[in-house]
Amino acid sequence: MAGHIPMQHGSKNTGKRTAEEPLWIRVLLIALALGFLLIFLVLPLIAIFIKAFEQGASVYFASITDPDALSAIKLTLIVVLLTVPLNAIFGVAAAWTVTKFDFKGKSLLITIIDLPFAISPVIAGLVFVLLFSAHGLFGEFLFEQDIKIIFAVPGIVLATLFVTFPFVARELIPLMQAQGSAEEEASLTLGAGGFKTFLLVTLPNIKWGLLYGVILCNARAVGEFGAVSVVSGHIRGLTNTMPLHIEILYNEYQFSASFAVASLMSILAIVTLVLKNFIEWKTSQHG
Amino acid sequence: MSIQIKEVSKTFGSFNALNDINIDIKTGELVALLGPSGSGKTSLLRIIAGLEEADNGVILFGEEDMTHIRTTERKVGFVFQHYALFKHMTVSDNVAYGLKVRPKKERPSKKEIEAKVNELLELVKLDAFADRYPSQLSGGQRQRVALARALAVEPKVLLLDEPFGALDAKVRKELRRWLRRLHDNFHITSIFVTHDQEEALDVADRIVVMNEGKIEQIGSPEEVYDHPNSPFVYDFLGNVNLFQGRLQNGKLLYGNVEIDAPGFESAENQQAVGYVRPHDVTIDREDTSNEAVQAKVVHVHAVGRSVHIELKREDTDQFLEAELTRERYRELELKVGEDVFVKPNQLRVFIPEDYSI
Amino acid sequence: MAKNWRFKKHSILPGFGLSLGFTMLYVSLLVLLPLSMIFINTSSMGWADFWATVTEPRVVASYKLSFGAAFAAACINVIFGVLIAWVLVRYSFPGKRVIDGLVDLPFALPTAVAGIALTTLYTENGWIGQFLSFKVAFTSIGITIALTFIGLPFVVRMVQPVLQNLDQEMEEASAILGANRIQTFFRVIIPEILPATLTGFALAFARALGEYGSVVFIAGNMPMKTEITPLIIMTKLEQYDYAGATAIAAVMLIISFVLLLLINGIQWWTNRKFVHN
Repeated sequence: MAGHIPMQHGSKNTGKRTAEEPLWIRVLLIALALGFLLIFLVLPLIAIFIKAFEQGASVYFASITDPDALSAIKLTLIVVLLTVPLNAIFGVAAAWTVTKFDFKGKSLLITIIDLPFAISPVIAGLVFVLLFSAHGLFGEFLFEQDIKIIFAVPGIVLATLFVTFPFVARELIPLMQAQGSAEEEASLTLGAGGFKTFLLVTLPNIKWGLLYGVILCNARAVGEFGAVSVVSGHIRGLTNTMPLHIEILYNEYQFSASFAVASLMSILAIVTLVLKNFIEWKTSQHG
Repeated sequence: MSIQIKEVSKTFGSFNALNDINIDIKTGELVALLGPSGSGKTSLLRIIAGLEEADNGVILFGEEDMTHIRTTERKVGFVFQHYALFKHMTVSDNVAYGLKVRPKKERPSKKEIEAKVNELLELVKLDAFADRYPSQLSGGQRQRVALARALAVEPKVLLLDEPFGALDAKVRKELRRWLRRLHDNFHITSIFVTHDQEEALDVADRIVVMNEGKIEQIGSPEEVYDHPNSPFVYDFLGNVNLFQGRLQNGKLLYGNVEIDAPGFESAENQQAVGYVRPHDVTIDREDTSNEAVQAKVVHVHAVGRSVHIELKREDTDQFLEAELTRERYRELELKVGEDVFVKPNQLRVFIPEDYSI
Repeated sequence: MAKNWRFKKHSILPGFGLSLGFTMLYVSLLVLLPLSMIFINTSSMGWADFWATVTEPRVVASYKLSFGAAFAAACINVIFGVLIAWVLVRYSFPGKRVIDGLVDLPFALPTAVAGIALTTLYTENGWIGQFLSFKVAFTSIGITIALTFIGLPFVVRMVQPVLQNLDQEMEEASAILGANRIQTFFRVIIPEILPATLTGFALAFARALGEYGSVVFIAGNMPMKTEITPLIIMTKLEQYDYAGATAIAAVMLIISFVLLLLINGIQWWTNRKFVHN
């Protein structure tokens, strides 16, 4: 597992150096850091899987094939399939606007794009309640049209969109800024039009960054709890996403079932981490 | 194809990047835009390429007005300062790009593109590297790929932005010659931007010296080097000695001496500066002409074909530089610390702008 | 050619209108319009009502708890974040690559999952709780632990690249000039990583303030004692007290804006320092 970080610094750290601590300090610092990570990251992760299988494999599989669990999984999938592509398209458009052009209010736009990161997920849910609930701004109109947003799937999608919307843009903006516009300009001087330039030059250059953003966006979309909790209404089999299903099971003291579903989500989280690190490794290869 | 640049101006905010630029470039010429950072040379090149739009003025390619034609349709070859090679494409894909993106009707067949790419890669001596990625090439090789890519679309005009700027000294010299030869074979009208006077003098047919968004001088390398028409050009192209003095009766008075200043017969008691190149300075042991200043030899640099002598004037403590042939140096038997007489052979007098207003 | 490089952005690249239009529309509909609802609703509420709602003792207690726990968690994350970043960049040990990858777990793991896992560990007979002589779950300590978990990657990921790009020759120069290791650390390394650490702190703090999912399970949610501000908003919503929820949300939103400005300020300050160097 020699990744890019040890490779970059391996030569620097070999041999005795003036600017290096004595061995016992190094060992102490490593032990402290690893101890902290063990308690805070590794133990919770292990606990999830052990608790999930505490009552045996049959209970585990019964829990994750329960109709309510399956419908929660299905709903989560639907939400992800809607939000991630939308936010990916937005991310590319926003990054293109912000990095390839100069215009007034640009830094304000970048700040606004960051906004959802700084806002409590509960507030993210609340704002859509204020817009679309029965007492909300559009409540009456929606009632007349017989459209349900809050306590229904559209609300969950909107809240998730809000919470996950910076991920792709945030990843692409610094990347495209660093790359500059020289390659695009070269493409134009060689006679390629705007769309061809984007497709043949820009997109291949940002594909790893885009994928990275999509993976992070996906992880958050799958796991979002606070915002979705506000708008969902917790209707079993209808508006329960996986995290909400976990909460309900946990609050009903069905711990094993709760951890079983949680273990599924943990596996997804680990896959996310592996993919994320693979992309980091891949991009460091290209220099 | 000839290029005419007429009354081109460009401002960025309050910064005057280009101010009323006029240049005529003949078909097949190789022209250098020479100037320091911020002189506007790169902006001008980008305006010619259509990468930037001028606020005023007209760009003509031959008889055709290009001012409002988009980059995509200008059919120029542009070599970027840092090459801007497509990182994710191989060398041959980079070179083929300009042909592949053509609309279906104009696009050559796959075979033709392949043949063209091979021909170009052979020309830039990179046929063995066709399947490599830009990151696997050296700086000089990348430069040649960039050139091949620009040439693939058979441009009528080739524009190069600091083409040798990022290379080390040896590769730079080789590529310079190579570019010169290439130009002699193909006769594409070419403009390159550089801040390196040696590069411009070595390669270009004509040099456009630019400073602060204006043209200081246009001329052949000999012209701009031997007959600079402004203090800036003197300063920017090669080393120069300054003689500060006063103009009186058509003569420049400096220190205790005076020397003829043709063209300034009417100037009365005017502050002025005489400019002279180190190789236009004579060193004597005796003052024979009353036109020399006394100076002490501070340092002798005797490596190479000519000998560089650093001197310090006795009267003003200013430093002077002289370039002597080896024969003359041996004849004089100069030693550090000796007092000698320094005489400018060819003095060009300018009235500093600060005083002329 | 620094000047010309910047000017390049006066771009001939196409698609400005389309991409800007789409971006603005998306941002306006999805973020600006919904967020403005908070202020519109609050302003229709009247100042006296608003003030009474947001200064209710139970709400004030929740501010104290949220701020205190978020601050404590961010501080812990600064100390251990810098330590972890240092160890990951400077030392080599088996499994380092895996550990490095694992640091991002709190970003990848759903907060609800983290919440139930931490609660299980820290209850009185949990794996960790049984060894502790004091109560952790359902107290403010438990809340701090959950917030430490979710904020862990921020400081590490901010500091790590700075340490990586830090020129070790600078430390060697410091050593040659006679400084010992501790002096070098405090006089050379700390100033270099300070802006990144501050940014990491602010990000972790901001995230912790608004965090909901990982906290609700371990908090116990007793009014006046272990009730965080986001939970109060949630509770008011469940009681259909939209006005009350909105008022408290407005307070939190303003705090978020201030934190965001602070983070941008730190970044602006750092960039300026680099440019002038």
